[in-house]
Amino acid sequence: MSDLDKAIAQLRACRPIPENQVRELCYKARELLIEEGNVVTVDAPVTICGDIHGQFHDLMELFRVGGDVPDTNYLFMGDFVDRGFYSLESFLLLLCLKVRYPDRITLIRGNHESRQITMVYGFYDECLRKYGSANVWRYCCEVFDHLALGALVIGATTDLAPSDAPFSDPASQSTLPSEELEIEILNSAGQILNRFTRATPNSSQDLSQLSQNPSSPSQAPSRTGAPGTGAASSTNNSTNTGAVLCVHGGLSPLIDKIDKIRLLDRKQEVPHDGAMCDLLWSDPDDIDGWGLSPRGAGFLFGADIVKCFNHRNDLSLICRAHQLVMEGFKEMFDSTIVTVWSAPNYCYRCGNVAAILELGEDGSNAGYAARSNGDANRSRGGPLAEQRRELHMGPGRRYRVFDAAPQDSRGMPAKKPVADYFL
Amino acid sequence: MSELLRHSLNGTPPRPRPNPISQYDPEESHPPSDSSSSPTDSVASINTIRPSSREQAAQPTHWTNYFTQDLYLDWRDDTQTAKYHVYLTPPQDPKKGPLFICHHGAGASGLSFALFAKHIKRLLPEAGILSLEARAHGSIVTPAPNANDTTPADFSIKTLASDALNMIRLTQSHLSWPSIPPAILIGHSLGGAIVTELAATAALGSSLVGYCVLDVVEGSALEALAHMKTYLSTRPTHFSSLDDAVNWHTRSRTIRSPESAQISVPSLLRPVPAPTEAGASTSQQFTWHTDLASTAPWWEDWFQGMSRKFLSGRGAKMLILAGTDRLDKDLMIGQMQGKFQLVVLPEAGHFIQEDVPERTAELVVEFWRRNDRSALVLPPKVSELIAQGKKV
Repeated sequence: MSDLDKAIAQLRACRPIPENQVRELCYKARELLIEEGNVVTVDAPVTICGDIHGQFHDLMELFRVGGDVPDTNYLFMGDFVDRGFYSLESFLLLLCLKVRYPDRITLIRGNHESRQITMVYGFYDECLRKYGSANVWRYCCEVFDHLALGALVIGATTDLAPSDAPFSDPASQSTLPSEELEIEILNSAGQILNRFTRATPNSSQDLSQLSQNPSSPSQAPSRTGAPGTGAASSTNNSTNTGAVLCVHGGLSPLIDKIDKIRLLDRKQEVPHDGAMCDLLWSDPDDIDGWGLSPRGAGFLFGADIVKCFNHRNDLSLICRAHQLVMEGFKEMFDSTIVTVWSAPNYCYRCGNVAAILELGEDGSNAGYAARSNGDANRSRGGPLAEQRRELHMGPGRRYRVFDAAPQDSRGMPAKKPVADYFL
Repeated sequence: MSELLRHSLNGTPPRPRPNPISQYDPEESHPPSDSSSSPTDSVASINTIRPSSREQAAQPTHWTNYFTQDLYLDWRDDTQTAKYHVYLTPPQDPKKGPLFICHHGAGASGLSFALFAKHIKRLLPEAGILSLEARAHGSIVTPAPNANDTTPADFSIKTLASDALNMIRLTQSHLSWPSIPPAILIGHSLGGAIVTELAATAALGSSLVGYCVLDVVEGSALEALAHMKTYLSTRPTHFSSLDDAVNWHTRSRTIRSPESAQISVPSLLRPVPAPTEAGASTSQQFTWHTDLASTAPWWEDWFQGMSRKFLSGRGAKMLILAGTDRLDKDLMIGQMQGKFQLVVLPEAGHFIQEDVPERTAELVVEFWRRNDRSALVLPPKVSELIAQGKKV
């Protein structure tokens, strides 16, 4: 058993590794990360995860639900540290896995992977408490500076192969679709909570309420042929799926092309403004165009911005984290952007569930998929269909929703003393 | 008289000048603060107005170093008569603002924002600062003569918020502003609850650009309630001198900046005759101006539901916390959904604006600049680009 495997085993048991090992690990991680571009290309299949925030036991639950590394290919969208009590173990474990299985796990930077933020929200104090010095915090911050800013998932399939899992509610068994499956939602026991088939191009479906509203009517199939077969695809051989951009926060008014992200100098502390800051801080919102972010950093961006950006960059979906979603995930703007949140019962008090997103591999052929420009819907779609045809079809999405792991109270700091004066 | 002061006096009615300080030996390096520097005594000091040519320089801790005027504003309605007291430095242009409206916490005073105001003026010379004083603090509210005498004093959050609104409106009419200038509300502690109430009820309408709460969170405030009475009972009831009081505040780390304590503490106290021993000459001592224990029945009312109100109000929101991040559930969810700006200042104690006045002023000015609607330029919308015939 190599030292690295030993470290992984130790961290999996939620025990920190010695300082000199951390230094070595961080050095190796930086060597690895420095070779990565600002936007890492990741091949499907991949499981995309949102904020972790030092909730180690919930990270273990995530691996239980989503499969272990290296069996499952993971992409974590930042915010590994702060607020939770085990930022150190969580981040070091992810980093160990990255060094051990570089091609099976991708880590990108969140707004909490910053010196300034970790000084205030817990990671710095935790390092100090667990090692008696700030050295480990310093090593980790140097790694933060080398984390990629985004990832581009390619080769994701548009049609989800239906899992043969049972429904959690047997009454819904009858809704097993014969048509192409777009979304499947599973609980932590692997039972199906809900399924959605692909909408026709002109009947947009509000998926934002999806996880709360399990009785959405099934949609008519948009094309003929059995799902998952080559026959289902039209003869057009363009890459219909489009890529999926993963970034912690969102878009920036300074970035209209993904290539512009690649040009940034990322090896620095997260700045207070500018493109790099926006990518880590912005949020989608139901507005037209751009808006001020109430966070004091980054921007708000509306559906028009997302659709325009996706179209220009041949994306079918933007996948981001950064915002707490009580239901674990939230699709917005006709499923052109999704928020994935992976810290259940955030900060041990918010009462939310968490989710991870699985994108399947396009088995038919690399990048070979359907484009719904057949004549079938033309009469119904009109100009809208005309417009939508230009957009890529979203990848098939399987969400696994999970609750917080039973909390182990070991290592929990004593309750903070209450302020003695507050009036 | 400074240019600024002269400017601010134009068009304003005559008002009491700061009380000259002449009783102390000027050679003394740090003369003890005269009780006349206490705002509550300024009313009585009207009789001591002297021509400005004969005025002596005020002590460095005197309020005139931080605000250009203080106003006594009369208010009368069916149930109460009020003489509100506020400190003011008007904005250069009331149409453009900004006006930073500050409200202190329970037991504090308008001078809690004195150093903060000074830094605001340095960073943003065109800005105005209005520091309000609550009833039983610097403002005096008495029940109307016809009101039932048995009506107990009212310190409910609604009443305190309506006092604050009265003060803002009266200041507006007193200075003949056509409307309230674009404003940022800043409240410390109880003041935070009051500005949150004002924001949640949209009391300032479209004049409100944003609001900023200093070191108060509903969850932790309610938790601390139980300890409050113990705390109050352990603090001294009397001080032999104002210096003694300032020392107590800095030594107990209630206020961590000695400079701030010098300015604000004298305004928290009032002189009372000291119990004299036989043969000793009559002397003075100082006691708290505000009887905090008497406000205890309203403590829960002040903070209950504050987090929801904070999140629901219109306008930009900022929460500045001292020490550590200790949000309650509602604020934690709100923060992680990106609904407000959170700043934690580990170096500050509860009296953030007094402990780190410069940093607080920087944060508030930055907050204003970011949210200043007149200066806001956002990137174009896609629909606008299409309308302009541009390819998107």
